[in-house]
Amino acid sequence: MAFVNLQNVTYKYPLTKTPVLQNINLQINEGEFVAVVGPNGAGKSTLCYALAGFVPHFFKGEISGSIEVAGAESSKSTLDEWVLNVGLAFQNPFNQISGAKYTVFEEIAFGLENSGVPRDEIRPRVEDAMKLTDISNLADRSPYSLSGGQQQRVALTSILVMQPRLLVLDEPTSQMDPIGTREVFGVVRRMAEGGMTVVMVEHKMEWIANFADRVIALKDGQILLEGKPNEVLTSDLLAENGFGLSRYTSTAREAKKRGLWKKSNLPVTLDEAVEGFS
Amino acid sequence: MHERLSFYVQRSSAIHDLNPLTKVILTLALILIAFTSPWYWTPHLLVLIAIIPLSFLGRVAPEFFKTAIRLILPAAGFLFLMQAFFQPVGESVIFKFYFLDVTQESLMFAFRSSMRVFVMVSAFTFMLLTTHPSELMSDLTRRGLPGQFAYVIISTLQILPQMQAKAQTIISAQRSRGLDTESSFLKRAGSVVPLVGPLVFGSLAEVEERAIAIEARGFTSKKIKTSLHEIADSNSDKIIRWVLTILVIISIALKIWLS
Amino acid sequence: MKIEIKDLRFTYPTGLDALRGISLSIEAGEQVAIVGQNGAGKTTLVRHFNGLLQPTLGSVMIGDWDTKKYSVAKLASRVGYVFQNPDEQLFSKDVGAEVKFGPRNLGYSKEKIDGLVTRALALTELSDKTETNPYDLSPTWRKMVALASVIAMDTPIVIFDEPTTGQDAANVARIAHVIAELRREGKTVITITHDIDFCAENFERVIALANGQVLLDGAAADVLGQEEILAQTYVDPPQLTRLGKRLGLKETVRNQEEFLNALS
Repeated sequence: MAFVNLQNVTYKYPLTKTPVLQNINLQINEGEFVAVVGPNGAGKSTLCYALAGFVPHFFKGEISGSIEVAGAESSKSTLDEWVLNVGLAFQNPFNQISGAKYTVFEEIAFGLENSGVPRDEIRPRVEDAMKLTDISNLADRSPYSLSGGQQQRVALTSILVMQPRLLVLDEPTSQMDPIGTREVFGVVRRMAEGGMTVVMVEHKMEWIANFADRVIALKDGQILLEGKPNEVLTSDLLAENGFGLSRYTSTAREAKKRGLWKKSNLPVTLDEAVEGFS
Repeated sequence: MHERLSFYVQRSSAIHDLNPLTKVILTLALILIAFTSPWYWTPHLLVLIAIIPLSFLGRVAPEFFKTAIRLILPAAGFLFLMQAFFQPVGESVIFKFYFLDVTQESLMFAFRSSMRVFVMVSAFTFMLLTTHPSELMSDLTRRGLPGQFAYVIISTLQILPQMQAKAQTIISAQRSRGLDTESSFLKRAGSVVPLVGPLVFGSLAEVEERAIAIEARGFTSKKIKTSLHEIADSNSDKIIRWVLTILVIISIALKIWLS
Repeated sequence: MKIEIKDLRFTYPTGLDALRGISLSIEAGEQVAIVGQNGAGKTTLVRHFNGLLQPTLGSVMIGDWDTKKYSVAKLASRVGYVFQNPDEQLFSKDVGAEVKFGPRNLGYSKEKIDGLVTRALALTELSDKTETNPYDLSPTWRKMVALASVIAMDTPIVIFDEPTTGQDAANVARIAHVIAELRREGKTVITITHDIDFCAENFERVIALANGQVLLDGAAADVLGQEEILAQTYVDPPQLTRLGKRLGLKETVRNQEEFLNALS
């Protein structure tokens, strides 16, 4: 039995005319790191909300099919129980700041306070989480005084500290520089190796190929393709459907036409490209 | 470049060390006494013997006076003028302004009501300057105030400085599109919609995302909440709260008795 | 229209030295990308170009105008500025009115405004959405409305602050198309971006900032190849540039064409 199990999930927001998710079937094993890619409007964020329980519990709307995480079924749970197992961080970091806290340290402790973690456990857990994402130096700053990239790290840490079994991340590095992006992918990879299951929406193909176990390509609310990163991210189907590709992939595809790329499969990462071109 | 988007000023002082609830009671007591005391000079006296000394005791006097001069005084002054001109009381006309009579009584009345408002806003400002927002929230929830309710109060207090920063960005964006905010009053009046529009629309979207973000962190969890900071509640806190409560009761009782 | 910056220094009221002596000039019709880590001073620098910020020391000239002597509203006729977040500027009931706002502020004639609006909407592929409320559009399309609303002002200089953040491949291509079109019309385009591949494919000149100073300034091919220096401001060279380096290509390549040509 898969750790995450979506069966025929179809969902429509109260105000949309057509379903945003259509007949999604998806199984994810515990400790797996799955990346979700797709153009804007493909339903990536909605899929995140569905995994995190906000669809349908928060947004209402019409849903059919079943969503199971860790043996519990979403439709039979309440949102406040669900979020203890499933953590969600999304793109806009500014709106994820609770607004009730004065320092970054307090901000990160917020979730632990809410879930009734005893005081003497809160401090070490917050400290550990901040070490993990390398933001210990920000502890006494105001969350509002940080740059977008730093706020994204705070948002991620605020969820990691709660130790969810399934971590759902919707474009968590959009405002980060390359160093920040690399570190976040590294942290997420380590969490997955420690047994946390991760679903992450991202545009940065090279990083996905380097770190994720599996890729789901979403288009118009449906799963277009899924499989190993280098197979999915180099597929002709993605190129034809307006997905963003790594420059290595698109350039090698063009090179292949001109006879400059001899291998049968295309590269996604720098190393694969170097190997194929030399 | 705002370093802190919050009113709170972190310092160490006797006031900062008080329990958050004590400061809430202190604020409410000042307001209630200013509004109920039958004695004309009470609000004025409160400013002199309570609010100003307290701002020094709490080591927030510079911040307090800055807010008072820039924000509270103009508001109270405006109220004073409105009431002095439009309050139809009294016979002893001091001067006439077209059809409006300004009487000694209306002046006295206006002076007191604007001082009451001054006490209310400045007591509130004093509390915000010296009270750590999340400690206030934790303390109130611990005392049984529903979490959602406490959150609404605290985040509203925090949101004003944020809105200010956001408004600044919107003004910059619109000026970059040629909106003239620096010249005549008429032109400025016309620029309200481009400035307020994005503020309101933006806030609506933000509210939804923020609700999701705090919910994702167990905000509505049915577990009993804990708090990171241990919040002191000493015997002197309890005494102060009792004394303040008694003063308020006396003030109200006098008001009822004398009227 | 030329931009001339002489020994520009800027200190925020909080005491933060955001710009610490910047001198550069940008000729009419140049396509310039400004890169560098968060806090390097990119936004602070470009906010001087239209007078939103005034130099603490030094000067900024836009053509023959010293920004100290002109209001932001006046400078708006020479410098258009698209902010990062479209939601911080959209307020009109429909897209058409939103795009009209800028040119109307500049006092153009009605005929000229209509012409500029039509052209800006066509360029941003919004012609079929003129009557839609901007807040009924997806965030990607709202971004295009913000672009259109500044392009319609027909300024000789246009600034974009992080135009590709949160945009998908299709919309990044649209934005690249808009920039190419502005270049064809002879306009100066200045873009702050951390999307270094986008930078490599669309800009001739790159300025890298670090700690309020110019770290590198020059032709894109020269700047983007300096891997070690760029690392000081947390910028990785573009993917194809890195690939070219690893393959030992002699010249620095920036885009697919250059790479494939160098290879064959």
